[in-house]
Amino acid sequence: MSPVRAQFLRRSAALLAGLALTLTACSSDPSPGPVSPTAKPGVLRVLASSELQDMTGILEQARKATGITVQVSYTGSLDGADAVSSGQADGKYDAVWFSSDHYLGLDPAGRAKLVSETPVMVSPVAVGVRAGLLSELGWGDGSKVTWSQIGQAAASGRLSYGMADPSRSNSGFATLVAVASAFSGASAALTDADVAKATPQLKQFFTGQKLTAGSSGWLAQAYQKPGQGEKIGALVNYESVLLSLDRTLTGPDHLTVIRPVDGVVSADYPMALLSSAGQPARESFRKLTGYLLGADAQKAVTEQTLRRPVTPGVAPAPGLPTDRRRELPFPGTRAVADGLLSSYQNELRRPSRTVYVLDTSGSMAGTRLKQLKAAMSRLTGSDDSRGQRRFRNREEVTLIPFASQVKAEKTHTVPEKSPQAELAAIDADVQALSADGGTALYTSLEDAYQVIARQQAAEHDDRFTSIVVMTDGESNEGATDGQFRTFLQGLPAGQSVPVFPILFGDAAKGQLQGIADLTGGKLFDGTGSLEGAFEEIRGYQ
Amino acid sequence: MRRVAGLVAAVVLLVAVTVVALHDWSGGKATASVRIMIGSEKFDFFNDQDVKGELAAQGLKTDLTTTGSWSMASADLSGFDLAFPASQPPAEDIRRGHHITTDTVRPFYSPLVVIAHLATANVLYANHIAAKADSGVWKLRMHEYLEAVRQGTTWQQLDTDHSHAELTGALYISTTDPATSSSGALHLAQLSYLANGGAVVKDGQGVARVSGLVKQLTGVQGDQKTSSDGPFKDFLSGVGNPLVLVYESQVAALLAQHKPVDDLVVLYPDTTVSSDHTAVGLTPNGDKLAQLLRDDPKLRALEARYGFRPQADAAAFAAAVGERDKNPVLAPDLAAAGVAQAQVPTLDVLTELVQTAKGR
Repeated sequence: MSPVRAQFLRRSAALLAGLALTLTACSSDPSPGPVSPTAKPGVLRVLASSELQDMTGILEQARKATGITVQVSYTGSLDGADAVSSGQADGKYDAVWFSSDHYLGLDPAGRAKLVSETPVMVSPVAVGVRAGLLSELGWGDGSKVTWSQIGQAAASGRLSYGMADPSRSNSGFATLVAVASAFSGASAALTDADVAKATPQLKQFFTGQKLTAGSSGWLAQAYQKPGQGEKIGALVNYESVLLSLDRTLTGPDHLTVIRPVDGVVSADYPMALLSSAGQPARESFRKLTGYLLGADAQKAVTEQTLRRPVTPGVAPAPGLPTDRRRELPFPGTRAVADGLLSSYQNELRRPSRTVYVLDTSGSMAGTRLKQLKAAMSRLTGSDDSRGQRRFRNREEVTLIPFASQVKAEKTHTVPEKSPQAELAAIDADVQALSADGGTALYTSLEDAYQVIARQQAAEHDDRFTSIVVMTDGESNEGATDGQFRTFLQGLPAGQSVPVFPILFGDAAKGQLQGIADLTGGKLFDGTGSLEGAFEEIRGYQ
Repeated sequence: MRRVAGLVAAVVLLVAVTVVALHDWSGGKATASVRIMIGSEKFDFFNDQDVKGELAAQGLKTDLTTTGSWSMASADLSGFDLAFPASQPPAEDIRRGHHITTDTVRPFYSPLVVIAHLATANVLYANHIAAKADSGVWKLRMHEYLEAVRQGTTWQQLDTDHSHAELTGALYISTTDPATSSSGALHLAQLSYLANGGAVVKDGQGVARVSGLVKQLTGVQGDQKTSSDGPFKDFLSGVGNPLVLVYESQVAALLAQHKPVDDLVVLYPDTTVSSDHTAVGLTPNGDKLAQLLRDDPKLRALEARYGFRPQADAAAFAAAVGERDKNPVLAPDLAAAGVAQAQVPTLDVLTELVQTAKGR
């Protein structure tokens, strides 16, 4: 056979194999499907920040224009940075697309894994204030407001707000850096000394934070519902997220978006290739970024997502103010960044009251109970560089194991300093759990609400309060869902606490989703990774 | 049904593949694929259709990867044909690390400049830190700038009527990370030359003499971008520090392509450093590409269209950016504009300077 013919046959075979894979993928899942396990020509596998889900339409346009199919897996930006640094993203993805590369870039190992970093669009962190509140606070049209004014309004109780967990989400982290810079009066990049200096003002600012979440989407929903008492007054997030949310809001829920005049921290959404990516992926990446930076795509980006374009000649969408803001510098070392996050969790924010209602019925015996113990145990460990996981200093943790009825009720308060002994005590309680009996899900939940009412009455304190319920089965004893609904309706306003159910084993998804919906919580799936679900919920506690 | 459709599609594709394969085989001379690692500032040039066309006419097709110039020496270069950092020291580092014996090629260069919005430039002018010649060329007076930096001057002090809310915080020029990127490292070379009394720093003692200044001006910036494309894009989209160090080529490319740049001002430091884009061939095909970039007249004209100054053709740059009397005004003739060049230290001294600046 001639060399030319041999080459031709190899090429044809490769192309046919690729085609067969494409057809299989199409028939099984027509929607933006799962990320394929291996690299493919014409496909770019991307690990991206969850807020980039609003780019789906533009990526579809990109596919039509370039032939490149983008397969996206969404994650929190800081969790995504961990995946890159640890090498877990190698081979699994071709590229990453986070709102910012600041956090990842502070880790030399993580930085070395990225090439061809290209900012695609920009949005600064901002404060969306409920329209009616602006005049009450004397802030005019909002164009001259400083972080100090926002801090004072929060400290005096006139401004409550929701903000994403900075250990998980870039919007929360950027906000934390912005307020720490502004309050310390730092004229340059933050240092540990600046953070120490800003601590009193930061504590005051965070007394106004009434909602925390691992994702912006949940915050947006919670903003529109009265939670524990009145609706909150503001949301802190990227300008684009707030303006996009405002498009869906009506009447008194409308937001005025404030970019504080003393400075912002902006996300510039760099798309970057993983250095482990092979040739077809590099080619796909080049085509895709070329398309996204073109004038047509940039115009679509700014008009559809309300982010700001990076390509000269493309104007920001109408409604995006063009007066400039100082960009507050980001800390220059991982130590300062992690120190700031750790201070936030253990010292600056309002402490939490966290109740775990844990199914220890007979069906949990064996592997399931072992998994539960391992997942809970991780929350008491020391592997926690930026406060993303473990029970925080000052947090009050109550364990309520149940089966046919509540088996026990153990409360631990992690001290302000030297938390190790109390964390070990929580772990000891977890390791002592044993499995037997039925599943009285609703009755046990009602008990949890009563426990919280007693704790609040005894301590008269101000805490983020939430319940986690984990079950591997269906409620088959005690109160019914109807009775639980009546119970919730009878609760005083201050005690309507969100429940975060974890789906596990043979749990009834309908029951758990119902509980999340009724209480303003959110359902988490622990069937893939129970540890992952327990950890993700930390962002909401 | 789906299966039948798939089969039909496969047959159609098979025919298409046959046509493509035969065409490739019968059409003209063979095209060699050249895999190159470049600084991000050269991406748009290599991605240009005309550049690709001229290279194809010469039998080459490029496969691009961009990264910070200083990252290249430590990057895995296996499978690459050419490494093309933005200056000589990292090129020297690559040659050493990969035991390359062939000479490097320097097809074009570009001086480092500082960009600012017009309002910012005017504040510097009012404080005698910037000057403007009759020709319209703006210059940054480095001695005055560094004196203000040494005194810890803030923008609030310079902008005395506080008419620009965004002008607050310490006065400094933001750069890329000198540990990964050429422009950041060249800025340190420039600073060290000036702080050393207008003489190149030659050894560890010299580094010690300038360590205070380079540490200060690196520390204030906090996290720095890895590659020169990032700070420039951020500036154009309206975020970032008031003063940003970029390659002249990044601005000139926009002008040569008639892209609007709003109220951007180019400040030429009165003592600057030029980046000699230096190609290190790793294979014969890489060498061939480097030589074409230096010698091919069509490619030289295209280099100028992307804002670079071809070493062997001074007129190309002036022709590409043309005569301008409004912002930003460029200075095709640097000597005539009174822009002096700082000498860059040796690779070892520069490496020590970078480590010192980063506090390592």
